[in-house]
Amino acid sequence: MSAFTGTGTMIRFILRRDRIRLSVWTLALVGTTAVTVPTLDEAFPDEESRQARAALMDTPTGVVFGGPGYGLDDYSLGPMLVNELTASLLIALAVLSILHVIRHTRAEEESGRAELLRANVLGAGAQSTAALVTLTLVNLLIGGLIALSIIAFDMPVADSLAYGLGLALAGISFGAIAAVCAQVSEHGRTTSGLSFLVVGLLFMARVVGDLAEQGGGLASWLSPFAWVQQTRPFVDLRWEPLALYGAFLVVTFAIAHVLAGRRDLGSGLVATRPGPVGAGRLLRGPTTLHLHQQRGSIITWAIAVALFSFAFGTLATEIQGMLEANPDIGVILGGDVDDAVGGFLAVITAYVVMAGATFGALSVLRVWSEENAGRAELVLSTAVGRAHWFGGVLVVATSATVFIVMVGGLGLGLGASVAIEDFEWVWRMVEASLAQLPGALGFVALTALVLGLLPRLTFLVWLWLAYSALTTMLGALLGFPDWAMNLSAFEILAKPPMDEFEVGPYLLYLGAVLSAGAVSLVGFRNRDLVTA
Amino acid sequence: MSVPAIEARGLDKYFGRFQALDELDLTVDSGQVAGFLGPNGSGKSTTIRILLGLLRADSGSVRLLGGDPWKEAVALHRRLAYVPGDVSLWPNLTGGQAIDLLGRLRGGLDDRRKKTFLERFELDPTKKARTYSKGNRQKVALVAALSSTAELLILDEPTSGLDPLMEAVFTECVREVKEEGRTVLLSSHILSEVEKLCDTVTIIRGGRTVESGTLAELRHLTRSTVRAEVEGDPSALEGLTGVHDLSIDGRAVVFAVENDHMGSVLSELATLGARSLVSNPPSLEELFMRHYGDDLAARGAAGEIDGRERA
Repeated sequence: MSAFTGTGTMIRFILRRDRIRLSVWTLALVGTTAVTVPTLDEAFPDEESRQARAALMDTPTGVVFGGPGYGLDDYSLGPMLVNELTASLLIALAVLSILHVIRHTRAEEESGRAELLRANVLGAGAQSTAALVTLTLVNLLIGGLIALSIIAFDMPVADSLAYGLGLALAGISFGAIAAVCAQVSEHGRTTSGLSFLVVGLLFMARVVGDLAEQGGGLASWLSPFAWVQQTRPFVDLRWEPLALYGAFLVVTFAIAHVLAGRRDLGSGLVATRPGPVGAGRLLRGPTTLHLHQQRGSIITWAIAVALFSFAFGTLATEIQGMLEANPDIGVILGGDVDDAVGGFLAVITAYVVMAGATFGALSVLRVWSEENAGRAELVLSTAVGRAHWFGGVLVVATSATVFIVMVGGLGLGLGASVAIEDFEWVWRMVEASLAQLPGALGFVALTALVLGLLPRLTFLVWLWLAYSALTTMLGALLGFPDWAMNLSAFEILAKPPMDEFEVGPYLLYLGAVLSAGAVSLVGFRNRDLVTA
Repeated sequence: MSVPAIEARGLDKYFGRFQALDELDLTVDSGQVAGFLGPNGSGKSTTIRILLGLLRADSGSVRLLGGDPWKEAVALHRRLAYVPGDVSLWPNLTGGQAIDLLGRLRGGLDDRRKKTFLERFELDPTKKARTYSKGNRQKVALVAALSSTAELLILDEPTSGLDPLMEAVFTECVREVKEEGRTVLLSSHILSEVEKLCDTVTIIRGGRTVESGTLAELRHLTRSTVRAEVEGDPSALEGLTGVHDLSIDGRAVVFAVENDHMGSVLSELATLGARSLVSNPPSLEELFMRHYGDDLAARGAAGEIDGRERA
């Protein structure tokens, strides 16, 4: 029996298990592209509007979500769609690929299902190989269909194919990163955290490099996020940058393979050590138990947000530089240099709040996983009341969300202060983060409300969070109408330091958050516990 | 005490359209060890969760230690300890941490008792819960429950993951609990365990109580197995009232007899000139089979497994 015996069966098995999941991802990504191309074409029908758009894409926020900016001087449909779609497509492909790889490697080992399969005639490498083969297939399929959907709009065939192939290779690369991370830790959760952290840093590298110079600096060239756009499709096509993906994949797969050979099934490179004989003094109530359970993820999120926000904060000088080099941008953004820096930092604060909202929702959702695992049953069979237990989750989720958002504000402020040597920004950004904080707390309350009343509707939380994040990130760029923008949870309150802080709406929002929390407690007290 | 530790009358519980409990009755007197028997999906765990106030019955009445388990959950839970059928623990806590935590959440824990039970169950408390097998996770919950001084223990199939040695330790522990005058509700399919430990037994099926009483009472209702060798012609036993499933092999006979008719059967055997006689009281196994026998036969015939999975 070779290490790969049974790979074919496993491939078919994965495709069967994930047929719906993968189809939805494919349809969503290809559909988004197919819809965006004509939308962009109609939204910017003439030369003038396209150049105005190009100028907007040359601003810092434009660069963050646009890229190195090829073709901005003659902004036709091709460069436009590459500039405006690539970042979102790559982020989506990264999420898809990372989750796919972990789902079929580490999560299988952790659950013990891998053991069940490996006891049969199945080679040691079959499962991971099958996971990577299916990863490749789905990315190539998505990349290929995206290329076709672009070709359908009479765009040059070679450029479209290069773009589609680039996207696919980038997706596979993100999956390969997850394959390496899956070797390190025994847990699916830690693995995904680690993978997203690495991919997040690679995204930052691209942003830093692209802001440093048009066409992308050295930092940008270190990141798989950049290489798709470095083929310069629809501007000045070159295939060579795609070779970087090849090299990257060979190296990462080799690392994953070597690491996999050094460990047993189910174990990680980082071994589990024996722990304490008894519980410490702090571990004595439901709230401290929740805190103990979430400690790791709170710290990880805070560090990630701190790094992200500090890095973005330091970009403040780039904005100053850009404005000095190109006063036209100042006209577009309106106002003076400080306003432009404030505007940029306000937008990044909104991203920090989005991270806070995501963490907050995940944190409250622990209720659901504790119930389903049967651990809630165990705790609630002791002298712990339901309101106490559920309230404990809310206390932990809320405090941690406030902490993470404030860390983000502090990071932005410190970054900006260090860069422009004006320490006013520290306090200004902490203030700004607190002003935008209810946007995150709203999701804590909403998740609690859903879990307390109708836990089956949890998907609504994610739906609204995804919608809100997407509209706030891309709505302005894609020219969403006002009513669509207003439906975003992050557009309800003013965004200091760009906007003026308003007390009334702020208190109203916090009031709504508190009431939702209270209703959720009553709901949870009165419903049946979900049992395993 | 005159108040029963557990008293449930006419419990109904629906999950969507599936009826998990159908007029279920369960009574456990204070200081008794009560067996709660039924196959998977018969509603044992659902009943227990109602007793714990985790689920609310759709109709019927429940009293637990004299209180309402839904409204007075916290106060009642100080007086009981529970071991779930499928124990799941916090993967990053060690067994020792989990035991301490559960004890503290219950309102205090006796360190000496904990130490003794850890030794008796041979449990390593320094291992992280994720590395524990099912049996070891069960031991964690058992040690936590037994270390408490709760007056009521509710144990849902507590030995399903334990090896025979540990089962013996468990049996010993429950006997001690009983000697201390505490009440135990023990749900199980391990019949020998219930036979060894329980004063009363309640058998449920399809969410409905089909039999309950002391073991002696239940045996009274059923048949004993008799093996005998006789000198005369054993076919005289055929057609005798109360005799069932007679099989004759030369002079040796095996049959089942209703306990009410044992007297007349014995005198007939005496007439036939019995040379040897062995009579076994019905085991719980047989009681159980009588209530599920047709179910098992139907399954065997159809060659399929009952699809109901809710426990």
